[in-house]
Amino acid sequence: MTLHTTAESRLSIRPPDHVGLYRRRAKVGDVLVVSLWISSAVAVGLFLVGGGTDRLGSVPDAITSIGIMLGLVGTNFVLAMLILAARVPFIDQAIGHDRAIAVHRALGKPAFLLLLGHGVVLLIGYGLSSGTNLIGEIAPMVAIPDMPLAIVAIVLLGVVVWTSLATVRRRFSYETWHLIHLITYTAVLVSIPHQLSIGSVFSPLSVGRAYWLVLYVLAFGAIFLHRFLQPLVSSIRHNLRVDRMVVEAPGVVSIYLSGRRLRSLRSSGGQFFVWRFWTPGTWWHSHPISLSSVATDTELRITVRDLGEGSRSISSVRPGTRVWFEGPYGIFTDAGRTAEKLAIVVAGIGITPVRALVQDARLRRGEASMLLRASTPDDQYLWGEVEKLAEQKGIAVTTMVGRRSPRGRGWLNQDAADRGVTLLSLFPDLVESDLYLCGPTAWVTLVEAEARATGMPDHQIHAERFDW
Amino acid sequence: MSARANIAGALSAAVVVAMAWVLGTSTHSAGSTTATSTNTPTAGSSSTSSPSGGGATVSGTFVGTSVSTRYGSVQVKIVVAAGKITNVIPVRLTDQGGRSVQLSNMAAPILRTEVLKAQSAKVKSVSGATYTTDAYLQSLQAAIDKAGI
Repeated sequence: MTLHTTAESRLSIRPPDHVGLYRRRAKVGDVLVVSLWISSAVAVGLFLVGGGTDRLGSVPDAITSIGIMLGLVGTNFVLAMLILAARVPFIDQAIGHDRAIAVHRALGKPAFLLLLGHGVVLLIGYGLSSGTNLIGEIAPMVAIPDMPLAIVAIVLLGVVVWTSLATVRRRFSYETWHLIHLITYTAVLVSIPHQLSIGSVFSPLSVGRAYWLVLYVLAFGAIFLHRFLQPLVSSIRHNLRVDRMVVEAPGVVSIYLSGRRLRSLRSSGGQFFVWRFWTPGTWWHSHPISLSSVATDTELRITVRDLGEGSRSISSVRPGTRVWFEGPYGIFTDAGRTAEKLAIVVAGIGITPVRALVQDARLRRGEASMLLRASTPDDQYLWGEVEKLAEQKGIAVTTMVGRRSPRGRGWLNQDAADRGVTLLSLFPDLVESDLYLCGPTAWVTLVEAEARATGMPDHQIHAERFDW
Repeated sequence: MSARANIAGALSAAVVVAMAWVLGTSTHSAGSTTATSTNTPTAGSSSTSSPSGGGATVSGTFVGTSVSTRYGSVQVKIVVAAGKITNVIPVRLTDQGGRSVQLSNMAAPILRTEVLKAQSAKVKSVSGATYTTDAYLQSLQAAIDKAGI
C-alpha cells in the first residue's frame, strides 16, 4: 500500500489546539439549542400577538388556545427536525451528523405527541364551546375546509414515527424504512393548508404568515439543497467510477474509485460517504461507508466486508461502474477532536475509518495510542498499513487477538480479561483524551460504557456508528 | 448541547413569550375599542324605499352597520314589510379562517329564525359562536333603529 505524501508533510505542521477549537464548535451546538427554544417561543408569540391574549378568558377559549399553541410548537419541532436531517454542512461540522440525527430522533416523539395533542385538545375546545362532546365535534371539525388534509398529515406522521420506534424499526430493511420516512415530506406539506386557512394566526399578508412560510422554505430548501441538489451535482462533476478491487483478506475487499478533482470535496480521514453503485442490482441501495485512506485528487478508497446483502453485492461490482455519492459526512476526524490526547480503540472492519484518520491526523509523538482488536488472526484487516502509519506518527500500538471474553470485560479477549486489563490500564491518560471507537455495535457499546464509568465526558467519546 | 444552553434557551423563550404577551394585550385592547367604535352608523346604511310615516307602515330594505370582530366584520340587512321584519340577509359574516366561516354559517340561519320569531335583536346567543352572534345582533339593531320600527 502506498502512503500519500500528505501524511508525512502534515507531521511538520503544529498540531491544532483541539480544546479551543472544540469550544468554538460547541458554541454552534449551543446556538442551535437556543434557536429551537426561541423559535418555539416565537411560534407561541405569533399566536399571542395575533389576539391570542384575548382568547384565554373562558374555559373553552383557553383550551382552544392551548390546542393552537401545541400545534405551533409541534410544527416548529418538525421543521427543526427537517433541518437537522438535512445534513447542513455547518451543523454537521459543529456537532456531527450523528449528534444531529440523535437530536432529530429525540425530537420525533415529542413533535408527534404535540401535534396529536393539538388535534385532540382542539376537539375538546371546539366541543366545549359549541356544547357538544368530543365525539360529536369530530364531524363538524372534519367539515372545515383543509381539515381532511391535516388528518392525512397526522396519520402519515404517525406511521413515520411508529416505524422509527427502536423496536419496530429493526423489522424493516434500511431501504423500506427510508422510503417510509420520505412520506414525512408529504405529511409536512399537506399540513400547511389548514394552518393557513383555519384560524387567524397566519392571516393573509401578515408578518406571522411570512415568518412561518420562511421557516418552511428554510427547512425544505436545506433538504433540497444538501440532500438532493448538492449530491447530484457533485456526483456528476466528479464522475466517480469503480477503478479496481483489491482483496485485503478473505471476504474483505478494497474498492478503489477514480474520479476528477476529488480534493475539492475536502474530505478528511475518518469521514464517510453514502455511496450508490449504478448496476441493475445495486442502484437502489445506498451504502454509508468510510474512506479507508485519505483521498487523493483522482482516487478514493473504501474497504468493505461481506456483511449483508448490500455489502456483498457491492463487492462484486465491475470496474467502470458509475458511483454516485453524498458526502463527505461525519466528524470521526482530526477536526472532531476535543481533548489534548488521543486514544483509539478499534475492532474488526471498524479499522477502515481509523486507517484514514491516522493517516490524516496531525499528531505530536506520543500524543496518540491505539488498541487494535481482532477476533481471529484472519481479521487483522489493514493492520499492516495502520502499524506502518503509527510508527511514522509516533503512535503507541497495542494489539489483541482473540474472541470476546465471556467473563469480565467482554470487549477484551479472554487472556486480557483474566489479567484484569482495563481501559484505564491501557490508556492511563484516558480522562484527558479523546476516545475514538469503531467496531461492531455491541462491542462498541461495552467499551463506551466502561469509558463513561471512568468519568469521561460525553463529548470526548467518539463512537461514530454507520448503522442508521 | 449542554444544560447551560437549555437553560439559556428556556430563559430566552420565556422572555419572547412575555414580550408577545405584553404586545398582544396592548394591541388587542386597542383592537376591541375599534370594534365598539364601529358601532356608530357608517355610510352604506341605506334603504331602498324611505320610511313613510308611522312605524307600522314601514317597508323596505335597511342595512345595518358593519361590526368588526377579531374574526372579521359582520353586517346584516333586514327586509321590512308593513313594519314587520320579513327577512334578515347577511351582507358579511365572520370569515377569518375556515373555523370561523364554519361557525358563522352555522349561526346565521339560527339567528335569522330567532330574529324573525322575536321581531327584535333580543334573542339568545348561539353557543360556540358568540363573536358572530354579538356582532350580528349589533348590526341588526342598527338596521332596526334605521327602519324606525
